[in-house]
Amino acid sequence: MLRIALLGCGTMGSTHAHAYTSLGEAKVVAVCDIRLEKAEALASLLGCVAYTSYEAMKEKADYEVLDVCLPTYLHCRYATDAMQDGKHVFCEKPIALNLEDADLMVETAKEYGVTFSVGHVLRFFPQYQAAVAQIKAGRIGTPALLRTTRNQAFPGWSWENWYQDSTKSGGPEVDLAIHDYDWLLYNFGSVKRVYAKNLGTGHPKQMHTLAILRFASGAMAHVEASWALPKGIEFRTTFELVGTDGQLCYDSSRDCPLKTQLGSDEEASLFYDNPLSDEMNPYRAELKAFLHAVEHKTEPVVTAAEAIAALQVALAAKESAHSGKVVHL
Amino acid sequence: MKELRIGVVSFEHMHAQSYTQELVKYPEVTLVGIADENEKRGKEMAATFKTNYYQGYESLLEQQLDGVVICTNNRDHAKVSIAAAKKGIHILVEKPFATTIADAHAMLEAAREANVQIMNAFPMRFNPNVIAAKKKIDAGLIGEVLTITSINHGKIPGGWFIDPALSGGGAVMDHTVHLGDLIRWFTGSEIKSVFCESGELLHHKGIDDTGLVMIELNNGVSATIDCSWAHHTNYPIWAQVDMQIIGTKGVIELKAFAQVLHLDDQANQRFEDIGWNETGDEGLIKEFVQVCATAKTPLVTGLDGLRALEIALASYESSRTNEAVSLS
Repeated sequence: MLRIALLGCGTMGSTHAHAYTSLGEAKVVAVCDIRLEKAEALASLLGCVAYTSYEAMKEKADYEVLDVCLPTYLHCRYATDAMQDGKHVFCEKPIALNLEDADLMVETAKEYGVTFSVGHVLRFFPQYQAAVAQIKAGRIGTPALLRTTRNQAFPGWSWENWYQDSTKSGGPEVDLAIHDYDWLLYNFGSVKRVYAKNLGTGHPKQMHTLAILRFASGAMAHVEASWALPKGIEFRTTFELVGTDGQLCYDSSRDCPLKTQLGSDEEASLFYDNPLSDEMNPYRAELKAFLHAVEHKTEPVVTAAEAIAALQVALAAKESAHSGKVVHL
Repeated sequence: MKELRIGVVSFEHMHAQSYTQELVKYPEVTLVGIADENEKRGKEMAATFKTNYYQGYESLLEQQLDGVVICTNNRDHAKVSIAAAKKGIHILVEKPFATTIADAHAMLEAAREANVQIMNAFPMRFNPNVIAAKKKIDAGLIGEVLTITSINHGKIPGGWFIDPALSGGGAVMDHTVHLGDLIRWFTGSEIKSVFCESGELLHHKGIDDTGLVMIELNNGVSATIDCSWAHHTNYPIWAQVDMQIIGTKGVIELKAFAQVLHLDDQANQRFEDIGWNETGDEGLIKEFVQVCATAKTPLVTGLDGLRALEIALASYESSRTNEAVSLS
């Protein structure tokens, strides 16, 4: 059984920790966060040791896999350190904020012969997988017009508000839209041109990206990712895939099986749930696939090269929004 | 109430049917006649609406009209509009306003010289849901508008619509103008630049059927338009007009044609969405009747038509060059 250390116990660390609780293939032996209470909460969930320093964890804990759930700007530093130590690394998306860091991570993994993958979890979401299965069965003919949205309020919960600092998060172009970029590239092939706009910097708590992609296949895509919705609005994802013989659509707010409305005299609130069994949990599925690749020394489902390709599209969108020009890849 | 003598030139564009149905609801309106080069269609429509048939539009324009509704193919908008203006007749011309910028300018110039009003048929401006959204935006409910995404999907039409010589273009020409107009209306800003990816990706009918347009406005707002004829034959409704307007204080999601019943039509083996609210044609014709009665400036003008046409034509240019096209 693989022994895992989880670095970063924030939102994604907690999501991974809950996924590990039902994964028989692995045992989380250590969790680490500079915030003791965050580390202790996950340590108690997983029945393991809590650390507040990566160095202390590295020195004392015995593990083969490091799961990096840190803010993006810290990915490269800790991932490469662990690789040099012979650890296999699973890193949250995006792989990095720039191609230099991403390349260094890939080269280091190669040099030290460790398995490395990135959390492009959308590929494991059952509704996205179901869409791909329908497309592969020819149900919409040749895909032509693709639209994805991934919209939410500003993620104000983050540690030191790192999302707001686009030198640390990359903004929604890199942090959020990259989910869809990876999914689109993986399923619809390479992108040859990108044209994009964002809101600029005039509204620090509202960030938003709109991108139009043209694929080598001739298909085109409209990708929208937002941190500009009002506070309290539910996170919403949609896709609309139009092909020569049909159309597939999904909208998380419309196609929601469980809506809970709560209210008092003062205010009402609405919660959207999409209950999934452990087996259908996409985070569990991505981790399970990675651990399988480690154990069997096979290529992971999400390769480092694919993570870099998604980053390239995201960076092209950023560059296009900045320059006002089309970016050719 | 003064009698208003109104004629309809051509039923080439099927919107002539609903426009004419609306026109005849007004007691002051006399439907003087229907002109249509296609004799069979023209006579049928003249019989339906109990009016006179003219083969040539020139003869209809001789009948001392106060107003004319022009629903020819897109190319002929200019020819008929200019002839009507010269006769001193107020004009409602189907969208797109024209197929070239030169034609559009000539139409505006002819109307100005003759001191008649020329109105472009943008029924979405009169759609009750669009109006409600506009009121919310104007009231500052969502604060300052930051960005807009919009979709106008529909089914691919046939006939002259898919003959570029008569239509001026496919989906990009047909659908960009509606949303381009609403984006200008909602923001009160003109267009700075246009980028477009378009092509013939879906239907293999020899004309562009798929398009994604990105607009930058002078006020800094960016907006996208999906103008594709993306609905396949079995799609439960013909037209879809959706907009998302994100502001500093909130978001409006507009689905202009969401007021439908869902019909499971077992006999025809299909699902159909049946609209039950006004579409916008009602308000459009009401406005045109008022224009004819008072010669007032219409709520949506020929100049609005030109501005929307500029977006569509810039979209084609951008598609050819793979560069953003500057309009300012």
